Parts: sequence; structure tokens; C-alpha cells
Amino acid sequence: MKIGIPRALLYYYYSPFWKTFFEELGIEMVISPKTSKAILDKGIKESVPEICVPIKIFNGHVVTLLEKDVDYVLIPRMVSIKKGEFFCPKFMGLPDIVRHSIPNAEDKILYPQIKTNSDNLAKATDILQLAEPLGLSYSELKSALKKAGKEWARFNKICKKGYLIPEANKLMQEKLVKAAPRSGDITIGLLGYVYNVYDEFVSMNVYKRLQDLNVNLVTFEMIRNKDINKYLKKMPKRLFWTFSNKLMGAGHYLNNNPGIDGIIHLSAFVCGPDSMLGQVLESETQKTKKPFMTVRVDEHTGENHLITRIEAFADMIRNSKKKRRWA
Amino acid sequence: MKISFPYMGTTILYKKLLEILGHEVIMPPRPTRKTFDLGVKYSPEFACFPLKVITGTYIEALEKGAEVLVTSGGHGPCRAGFYHEVHERVLKNIGYDNEIIVFDALKDNFFKVLSSFFKIKANNSFAKVKEAIKTVYKMSYSLDKLEKEVTKRRAYEVTKGEFTTAWRKIKELYDNKVFTSEDVEKVELEAYELLNSIKIKEIPEQEKIRIGIVGEIYVVMEPSVNMEIEETLNSLGVEVERSQYLSEWIEFTLVPSRYSKSHEYEILKKADKWLEIGIGGHAKQSVGFIVDFYDRGFDGIIQLMPFGCLPELVAQSIIPKMSNELGIPVLSLSIDEQIGNANVQTRLEAFLDLVKSIKFEKQNKSNIISLQDIINRNRIANRTKEGIL
Repeated sequence: MKIGIPRALLYYYYSPFWKTFFEELGIEMVISPKTSKAILDKGIKESVPEICVPIKIFNGHVVTLLEKDVDYVLIPRMVSIKKGEFFCPKFMGLPDIVRHSIPNAEDKILYPQIKTNSDNLAKATDILQLAEPLGLSYSELKSALKKAGKEWARFNKICKKGYLIPEANKLMQEKLVKAAPRSGDITIGLLGYVYNVYDEFVSMNVYKRLQDLNVNLVTFEMIRNKDINKYLKKMPKRLFWTFSNKLMGAGHYLNNNPGIDGIIHLSAFVCGPDSMLGQVLESETQKTKKPFMTVRVDEHTGENHLITRIEAFADMIRNSKKKRRWA
Repeated sequence: MKISFPYMGTTILYKKLLEILGHEVIMPPRPTRKTFDLGVKYSPEFACFPLKVITGTYIEALEKGAEVLVTSGGHGPCRAGFYHEVHERVLKNIGYDNEIIVFDALKDNFFKVLSSFFKIKANNSFAKVKEAIKTVYKMSYSLDKLEKEVTKRRAYEVTKGEFTTAWRKIKELYDNKVFTSEDVEKVELEAYELLNSIKIKEIPEQEKIRIGIVGEIYVVMEPSVNMEIEETLNSLGVEVERSQYLSEWIEFTLVPSRYSKSHEYEILKKADKWLEIGIGGHAKQSVGFIVDFYDRGFDGIIQLMPFGCLPELVAQSIIPKMSNELGIPVLSLSIDEQIGNANVQTRLEAFLDLVKSIKFEKQNKSNIISLQDIINRNRIANRTKEGIL
């Protein structure tokens, strides 16, 4: 049996989890190739025009997988991974979007509902309902879940040591992982959802480009939960979306951290949660005079404008740092 | 304390409630181009359109002298529940330090709702508050019943504009004459007399066209934001009914589910096949109402949503398949500050031509063009307009 996993949306955050889970069960996992123009175009064809680009990309990956003759495509219905918080409505309705807008998807998708209270999906018991379509027993799934949860926790720990997700994935084999080396001369906080930051097509490799400019990066996965929650607790009303809250907490933390020289907010066009988050981050960074830039991406963004902007941003930070040193 | 509130639907209801409780009400002006411009200027760029309009309304109301703003909250995952947080920041930025009283859902934040309640209650006795609520509750039902009647009969009026004038007069009647819950019935009779006195054309039943409007609550309920879509449709000779009415909203949102006799629970059940869980906003209701309107024999559906509305986009993704399977044409219109009247008018006219041709072809049973073809053609036309093909 072959299970297709779209390389889109929360794949980047949960890939070690699903990988271990299906390896344990002895099921072949087919991950769609990296996002390309062809995949995006397939997605655009099956999506409503107004929807944000990450969803279009996701649809493209699902179409690509269906063409590959997989038995099922896994599309977890992300409802909540924290009490009182949800995902963006589009995530909650994602399986419904897919099964009603992509032809032939109706009987080919598995959509366990994820409703739990931790980032670690090991306790999302609805995943056990996959037992029937996969033709396996509950106990097999249970032990696989446990193992997957452990692996994911290890992965998460590596991230917290200061590694970006692709780096952390490479380090999974090693037993002891040291804190990430910091060789750049400036440090920038890169705030954005995993599916925008790590999708090399839509973000046009922004994190690698920044690293090439000799910049140290801090993303929300690297910041300890304690630090994120410290700032969230002070807010009168939190946002409703878990990952937006993480970005919010991380943003506040970075904003008040003198070691951070600037913040870049990477967001997709018409992203609803970001329209609220961005406004708060912008007004907060104005108070502390921390350099802040919003980069908005969609299917039409050109590469050159992005390069120019991040280069200018890094240069500006370097200059002001130099001036401060001489002053 | 001078109170104001966002402008949505039959605003005299909120006004009445606050007035009975002895507050001085600053009536927010009906949203106009100026309101939109103000809202767009001060709101976050990618915030949804209702947030922008309400920002504009708040600013205009504060300029008119309002001291306190009252609004409803929410618990997500739709953005609307976070409006007041953003509004507070926006208003503070432009120098207004006024208080915004928020009513969240009781089960989310009991004590905050209680404190909000006591702020509004002021020095009134509980009996008086109860009476005020009862009056407004009854009034909302009565007004919505009349409005449904207006949007139905207006399609066949002999002299253009008579029903619109009458509807305005009716709202004034309620505003001036209702003070207790007993008054409602008397005024309702008067209002019906007014409506019955208007001459209407006799149209045979099989020639009547009925359109249902579904979508996000603010743009569905507020005519000044959706460019009077109901009136426009009526003037083109079709009957209209909406998915959202204030009385339904009160029944579903504010009355505890045990006592509520809301129609909306049924609607949600009808949506189960298409959208398995509630995803916030009114997406599930929109989907359910499409099925409901279809079951009740409506001829076409119009979905209204603010540009980029999160839940409605999910509904919009499902709609093409629904439209195909049920065989009912659906037009999706997304609304923001850049939409123009002529655009909407043209699309509505084209849509109605299609609806009519489907209906009459069905009746004549001349299967020259199949229903499926027409719907497909509609979808292609729509998509061409949206710029896909």
C-alpha cells in the first residue's frame, strides 16, 4: 500500500512524525516532489482564485500525488493542538475543499481529525481511526504513534538548539547535537509559517539567501516555548490560531531581545491571520525602534524584488550597527 | 453615557435596546463612500472589508460625539472575534481613547460578559432590563417578518420605489411608537396595512423567480455595503430571501441552545454532507442554506463574501460541485472597497438571464440544451471573469 503525503502546509513541521509513523507500520510513503511551477499551476487550476497561495500549492501537490497512483493521500484535518485555540478555517475545512474541488479525490483521501492539546500529535487519538482503511490493528497503530511522537519530540529539541527545519532533519541521525554555530555578523528574526519559509518555490529560498548574506537566522521553532508563552500571557486577548500565536509570542520575544538586529515577517498575500498579526507586530516594533520588514509572497512575486529588498534590509542593519559602534 | 455601535442591518433594534435602558444613543451614520475611505485609510491593509467599514463607522460615530462603543466579540477561528482588539489599537493610534464594550459568548469569558452587562445595565432594575430585552427580541422577529415580505413583494410593485419608501416608514414607525413589548403587535398591524395598500402586479406562480442570498453575515445583512443587492434584484423582478436575519442571529447566538428554537440547527445538519465540521464564521450556514434554498424550490443562489474571507473561501471552494450536483446556479460575489456598481449590476443581470433560461427550459422540457451544459457554461463565464481562463 502507498500513502501519499503532500509536501505542503504543515508537512514541514510534522514530516519526521509521519515518516516514523508509516515506517513503523511498514507502509510505503510517497512524498510529492518539491513545489515547482508545474505543481503550482495544477493547484491554481483546481482552486478558487481568491484563496491564498499555500492552499493552491497544497491542491497542486494533491493532484500530483493522485496522478502518481497512490492508494490514499493523507490530509489531516487540523482543528486544534492547544486548548481554546484553533487553526485557520481553511485548515479546518481543508479535506472538504480537496474532496469537493479536486476531481476523483473523494474516495482517495484519509482525513483523521487532529484535536489535541499538544504540538506533539502522539495523543491525537483520531489518527487511530486510520486502522480500518490501512488494514492494520489498533495496537499496531498505537505503538507506531508512540514511536512517531518520540521521534518528533527529538526533532523539535534539535530545532530548539538553533537549527532551521531542513538542517534539523539532516541532524536526526546523529546522537548528540551541539548548539548551532553562529558565524554571521548580524542576526535577523525570520517570522513566518513553516509552509512559507521552507517552501523554496514560494519563498524563493529566502532563508538560504539570507544565510548567504552572512546573516544568522532565528525562527519561531528555535525559541523555547517558555519564552513564547511568556509574552502571550500578557496579551489581553490572544489570537485564535495556534501558529499565529507562536509567531506573535516569538515576535514579542525577538523584539525585546537586544541580540536581534531586525525582524522580517514573511507572509502570503491575503493571509487572514497575518493581517491581524502583522498589524500588532508592526506597532510593537515601532515602539522599540527595531527594524521590521514585511515580505508578502504570492504566485506572481518576482525574485529580483525579493533579493533587492532583503539585501537592502541587511545592509541597512549593518550600517546602523557600524554607526552605533563609532558613535 | 453616549453610546454608539457598528452599523449592521436594522440598526433601530440596537438603538431601541439602549434607549429603553436610558442611554443616550449616537446613531452611527449609514456607511457611505466616505466611511469606506476612512476605514481603508486607518485599518490594516489586508484586514477584511467589514473590519474596515466598522473602523470608518466608529470614527464617524466618535466624531458625532459618541463616548462608548458597544460591539459583539467572538471566539474564532474567524477573524471577526478579534475585531475589537484591532479597533482599539487603530482608534488609539489616531488619538481616540474611548472604551469599547465587548460582548463575547457567555461560555468563553463569563466574567467579562458579566462586567459588560453591568456597564450597559447601569442603574436599571433587572425587571426593566428583562422587559427591554423582551421588547427588542419581539421587535426583531416582527421586523424580519416584514422585511421578508418587502423583499418578496417589491419584485412586483407597480410604481417603482413604493416599497422602499414604505420600509423606511415602517422602521420609523417602530422607532417612534414601540416602547414596550405590547406595542410591537399594534405597530405590526399598522405596518401590514401600509404594505397591503401598495399595488402589485399579478404574476402567475410558475413565472416567479426566487433567489436566495447566502454568505458572510455583515455583507449579507448590510445593504449599504452590498450595494443594495436585494433592492437591485427586486427591481429586476425577482423575489429575494437572505440566509441571515437579525432575529435568527439572536436566536442562534444569544439564546442558550436548550431553549433556542432556531432554524439554524436544521440548516447545519443539511450542510453535514458537504462540510463536516463548523469552521467558524458562517461558512457552514452558507453551505446549509444553499441546500435549504434548493429544497424550498429557489431558482438561484448568490453567495456574498468580503474579499479574502477565510471561512467563506472554504464554502466557495465547495460550491461549484454543489451547484453541479444539485443543479442550481450559484453566483459568488466578493465585495471590498474596490467593487463597482456597474460590475455588480452586469453580473446580476447576466446571472438572472441564466437562471430564467434554466427555469423555463425545465418547464418546457425542451431538452435542446441540457441543464448541465448551462451550468458549465456559467462556471466558465464566471471563471473567465475572475481571470482564470
